[in-house]
Amino acid sequence: MTPSSVLLTLALSFAGLSALCLAMDRHHRAIFRGAPSRRRARALRVAGWCGIGAAFAAAVITADWNFGPVQWLGSLTGAALLVVGLVSYRPRWVRPAALVALPVAAVAAFLA
Amino acid sequence: MKQGFRQSMAWLHTWAGLVTGWVMFCVFVTGTATYYRTDISHWMRPELRPAAVEPGIAAERGAAYLKVHAPKAVAWYIALPQEERPLLDVYWFDSFDTPIRQATLDAGTGQPSTARATQGGDFLYRFHFELQMMPLIGRWIVGASALILLVALVSGIVTHRRIFSDFFTFRRDKSAQRGWLDAHNVTGVLALPFHLMITYTGIVTLAFTLMPWGVASAYRGDALRFFTEAGQNPAGRAATGRPAEALPLAPLMARAQGEVSEPLEMAIVNNPGDAAATVVAVFEEPKGLAHRHPQVVFDATSGDVIDRLGTLKPAAHVFTSFLGLHEAHFAGPALRVLFFLCGLMGSATIATGLVLWAVARAPKAGAAPGFSLRLVRGLNLGTILGLPIGIAAFFLANRLLPVDLVGRATWEGGVFFGAWGLAALVGLARPQARTWREMGTAAAVLFLGVPFVDVLTTDRGLDFLGFDAAMIAIGLLLAWGARKVSRYRGPARARAAAPDNLARA
Repeated sequence: MTPSSVLLTLALSFAGLSALCLAMDRHHRAIFRGAPSRRRARALRVAGWCGIGAAFAAAVITADWNFGPVQWLGSLTGAALLVVGLVSYRPRWVRPAALVALPVAAVAAFLA
Repeated sequence: MKQGFRQSMAWLHTWAGLVTGWVMFCVFVTGTATYYRTDISHWMRPELRPAAVEPGIAAERGAAYLKVHAPKAVAWYIALPQEERPLLDVYWFDSFDTPIRQATLDAGTGQPSTARATQGGDFLYRFHFELQMMPLIGRWIVGASALILLVALVSGIVTHRRIFSDFFTFRRDKSAQRGWLDAHNVTGVLALPFHLMITYTGIVTLAFTLMPWGVASAYRGDALRFFTEAGQNPAGRAATGRPAEALPLAPLMARAQGEVSEPLEMAIVNNPGDAAATVVAVFEEPKGLAHRHPQVVFDATSGDVIDRLGTLKPAAHVFTSFLGLHEAHFAGPALRVLFFLCGLMGSATIATGLVLWAVARAPKAGAAPGFSLRLVRGLNLGTILGLPIGIAAFFLANRLLPVDLVGRATWEGGVFFGAWGLAALVGLARPQARTWREMGTAAAVLFLGVPFVDVLTTDRGLDFLGFDAAMIAIGLLLAWGARKVSRYRGPARARAAAPDNLARA
């Protein structure tokens, strides 16, 4: 439950939720031109759920079963709020922010 | 009445939410602040500096004070100094029918503390579940409201048609009602695990107040025996009436510390001065979700260990785990920020729901609002902006009231309620969009003023950077909200028809 463990869970949740957000027609349209192709939407959805799953695994590994699930749920809430804020105020930042989250997660994993 | 399931749930959600909204908003805001209770207490006693005092020595200093000032008490409680609270708090009961009494001592000298008298973060903590009323009545109101809130939460989930497709959706460019509904949905859905957890575990913490009958009928008035059997309290020993000399506390505390790895939190002396006196060493809770305190019980005259508490039976373990989840004592700084954020989102869900009720019932342009709408608008203003104004005034009072004022701690509470009451009266008298802007600005100015007053009145500005940053952040958030209200012109397509849509909010 160190700060770096929370940051790791938060970064993975953020990347995953951003992908899920981009997989939706309405938000994809706001950021790129047009709706995503079916293949693209499915790939984003798979990536998104993988990110959420990875966040759960990271939380349980770094903060064990006692606190891991609590930390995971809290991180999902925080990350989702960030995604909503970006999508409605700075939609173009969603994709770069999600891509930046991955190296941040890697650094946090190294520290945790 | 022919209605679908979802419509009837929507009705339930609307009205359950409205009747509990105002109380639960206050409970959520003060509860969220309570995640930083020790930091608030620390800030409110700027005279105190961290001081390392051996717990056993501190316990003896507390006992020496109590021996002089409460020799006939039935129980002494000596709260030992902690890093974040370098004070010695002593509590005692003259008899179990009289209220508990308290004194705050300087841990280094054992004499009454010269730090300013304040309730610190405990004020907001107690308000969170007792509303500063008689404890039983306050807890009943909070408990009943929380039960109805749980109903509102579940019916709200049923009512929400597009939880997943609207998961990330916040439409600011459509109608006012759409924007408030999206804000309500986003803050409600994204932190839904927290909302359900905190409401349910909150009700569990009040379970013995809300449903006392099980314990009352099984234990026939001897509720203490229930807590003993559940493994939460050591068994009591009746006083013999024969006086006896007790052993000094420091060696007993040292022996107890040898058995438990957690730091000591409190020393309790039951029946002080009696031959049947016992000494209980209470430790901080070990790392884990459950909220439980290891205890070692000594015979005060012989020094024999007569009881040890540590592990709990399964039901008590579940109960204390719920308490632990609710209080989040286990959370480190990073996780605590997330809990705090979730608490803010809970407050925002309730506030946006209350505003939405009024926005959805706004009369047509030119028509006068009815009495009930005016009342709800007024109460919304008085609660959603009145409470923050009260809290900011409470912090300012801590710095501005004279340190030697008689009844100072009570005065701080008086300022809190005075400022809030004034704001509520203004809100009820002028429930209009303009008042949202003005009161929002006033609240922002008060919060932004806290760090300035702090720097001007104490020499500890640098020790409180975190607290001051939080005050500035809250102040800026309120200022941003007030600016939004003043610049709001309604959605582009409706602008021609209704020039000031939020005037009807």
